[in-house]
Amino acid sequence: MGLLKSVMRTLALVGKELVEVMRRPGAILSLVLGPFLVLAVFGLGYQGVKADLRTVVVVPADSGLPTDASAYEAFTARGVRIVEVATDEAGARALLENEEVDLLVIIPADAQARLEAGEQSELRVVMNQTDPVQSNYAGFLAETLAAEVNRELYRRAADEGRGYAISVGGEDLGDIPPEVIASPVTASTENIAPTTPGIIPYFGPAALALVLQHMAVALVALSVVRERRSGAMDLFRIAPVRSVELILGKVLAYGFLGAVIAASSVALLVGVLGVPLLGQLGLVAGVIGLLLLASLGLGLLISIVSDSERQAVQLSLLVLLASMFFSGFVLRIGEFNEPVQVAARALPVTHGIALLQDLLLRGEILRLWQVGALAAIAGVLLLASWGLLRREMRPA
Amino acid sequence: MTAVSDVSFEVPEGSILGVIGPSGSGKTTTIRMLMGSLAPSEGSVSVLGHDPLHFDHATRERIGYMPQQFILYPDLTAGENVDFVASLFGLLFFRRRRRVRQVLQLLDLWDARKRQAKDLSGGMQRRLELACALVHEPRLLILDEPTAGIDPILRRTIWDELHRLRGEGVTCLVTTQYVTEAEECDTVALISEGRLIAYASPADIRRQAYGGDIVEISTEATFDADVLAAMPGVHGIRQTGLRDFRVAVEDAAVAMPELVDAVAAAGGTVAAAREARPSFEEVFAELVERDRREHPVEAADGDGEASRAPSRTDAERAATATEAGLRGSDPAGHVPVEPATEGQGAASAVPTDTADTADTAAEDAALGSRGDREEVA
Repeated sequence: MGLLKSVMRTLALVGKELVEVMRRPGAILSLVLGPFLVLAVFGLGYQGVKADLRTVVVVPADSGLPTDASAYEAFTARGVRIVEVATDEAGARALLENEEVDLLVIIPADAQARLEAGEQSELRVVMNQTDPVQSNYAGFLAETLAAEVNRELYRRAADEGRGYAISVGGEDLGDIPPEVIASPVTASTENIAPTTPGIIPYFGPAALALVLQHMAVALVALSVVRERRSGAMDLFRIAPVRSVELILGKVLAYGFLGAVIAASSVALLVGVLGVPLLGQLGLVAGVIGLLLLASLGLGLLISIVSDSERQAVQLSLLVLLASMFFSGFVLRIGEFNEPVQVAARALPVTHGIALLQDLLLRGEILRLWQVGALAAIAGVLLLASWGLLRREMRPA
Repeated sequence: MTAVSDVSFEVPEGSILGVIGPSGSGKTTTIRMLMGSLAPSEGSVSVLGHDPLHFDHATRERIGYMPQQFILYPDLTAGENVDFVASLFGLLFFRRRRRVRQVLQLLDLWDARKRQAKDLSGGMQRRLELACALVHEPRLLILDEPTAGIDPILRRTIWDELHRLRGEGVTCLVTTQYVTEAEECDTVALISEGRLIAYASPADIRRQAYGGDIVEISTEATFDADVLAAMPGVHGIRQTGLRDFRVAVEDAAVAMPELVDAVAAAGGTVAAAREARPSFEEVFAELVERDRREHPVEAADGDGEASRAPSRTDAERAATATEAGLRGSDPAGHVPVEPATEGQGAASAVPTDTADTADTAAEDAALGSRGDREEVA
């Protein structure tokens, strides 16, 4: 009888949570559809390539170098668009300071003479960037530009050298084109991944993991706080309800809700957004289940330690922010130092993203230990929440 | 900070105990200790024979609780709320369905069962909370200000329902800040600033306030009522005007003709004499004022909760009350200690020096809070 009553109480708690959520459909819609809409806009709007940097080539006034932009097209690397060739460096700098152009390429005045004297010349590239990513990109382009110029110099030198070789009777050397001498090695790439998804399919599994974690954390984080504020916790203290039944009720209710959302999201990702599903559906469901459990544990913990709904919302948003930065959603975890990597791996979504990307895009789990890590996080968080709630339900 | 101190009582099975006191007096703190959500720093609490801090499930299922504020779920309908609470208290499906219908009909909420709780009026919400407290047919009902902020008609309805439940053997502990509701209770515990200042039946409380029945006498000319003080059965006299005075007597019906004769014998002429029945507002005010005179507040917080010096003996209280209030041979104004007798299953107020007496009565108590001192730090 005791077990029957316990089951009945738990089911009553599950039913209460679900009915409450159903009566507030706006919260679910904003929590689930919101991130997917953002992803869709991102996918549709992101072009996948960086805009060309508007570049001014500054040539010394008395160098005799051409001032026609088309004359420099052969030297430009991909990502650089020469908009003007100027002889006035100060005027070009003014354009750069006003952000009317992105790069200045200042051609050395005495490059030929220095080369003949056996000295290096400096091709100066000036930028006006506070964005470190853009700054690095511009630096990369400057290096590429310099390499392009050097290659052209090699080519010309090789061409002249070949003429000389022919004149002295080196017939064999004359068969090698100067382009080959200037660039004896070229690169080609081969990707052995099972799929090479586009932007949306690649970020789809990660977005799913992030949405599921955020939904679970946000919904549960508010539920206990709200009950504490309303006084319902007093009812639970007085009624023959165990803390484990409360935890179980919430986990089952929001777990069920999360499972429904996850199922429909996977269908949307695969059916509409074209995300490949190469792994077994059962494994995907298992990983999602573990991710939901761990996320619910995190939400419960937030809920129990929060004094107010505002604090619960703030902590939920902090978790979301940390997940965006450290989970591998945007930046690869390996790019962080070791302590931050450890902290990142304490987030359920870190493993959720990696596992779902593996399963959906590769068809297999590459790092099985992440399944264990996710289960361990879920266990620790749920046990901690249970312990804290149990303490809270004791007399003051 | 001490929120409640020196509060000891027992509640007989099948009776209504009214815990009455102003807002912030410590009623809810007392209830929280009874419900086991707050541990007393000293003393002991026994509810249905168990320590509330260690209630088992079976005991919890025998208790119904209605909190002071609305704690139900606003998004759930009235029916869903009651059904949810019934489930928490272990009612299985068929009994639950029957009881939900019964309590909703009883409290005139059946037609509103499909309305979300947030859409109910304040009065309906109070009734819904009462329905939730009743749905599992508790043997002990603890209601924290069930009539606060509701209209007089609904207050009447609630009290009628409590009387009906008492008739069925349910023990009720009801807190209220409406002093007039003392009349509805079998026993009244008056709490002020965290201290129990009176504990008795409503009639006895009234007598305690004035030292007995009250006879109001008006004379045709100025009269010095002190001459009546020596009369047998007179507990005290208070001059309320040049020609008006109140006399506390053992029995008004017996004493009134004797008083009229005594006034005449002393040279006065009685213009009017009647038995006074002071309202409970007056009674309560009298008792609180007396208690405040006896126990000056040492410190008080913003909620009206106070810390006080340790209580004095009853004799000291009585002496002070006599000096400050009624004059007479009897210690008028004495807040008596009436420990329940064994087998009575009754409530008792047990100050420091009478704790042992009360312990013997606790065994059969439906609900008892007893001990030397109950303090909540």
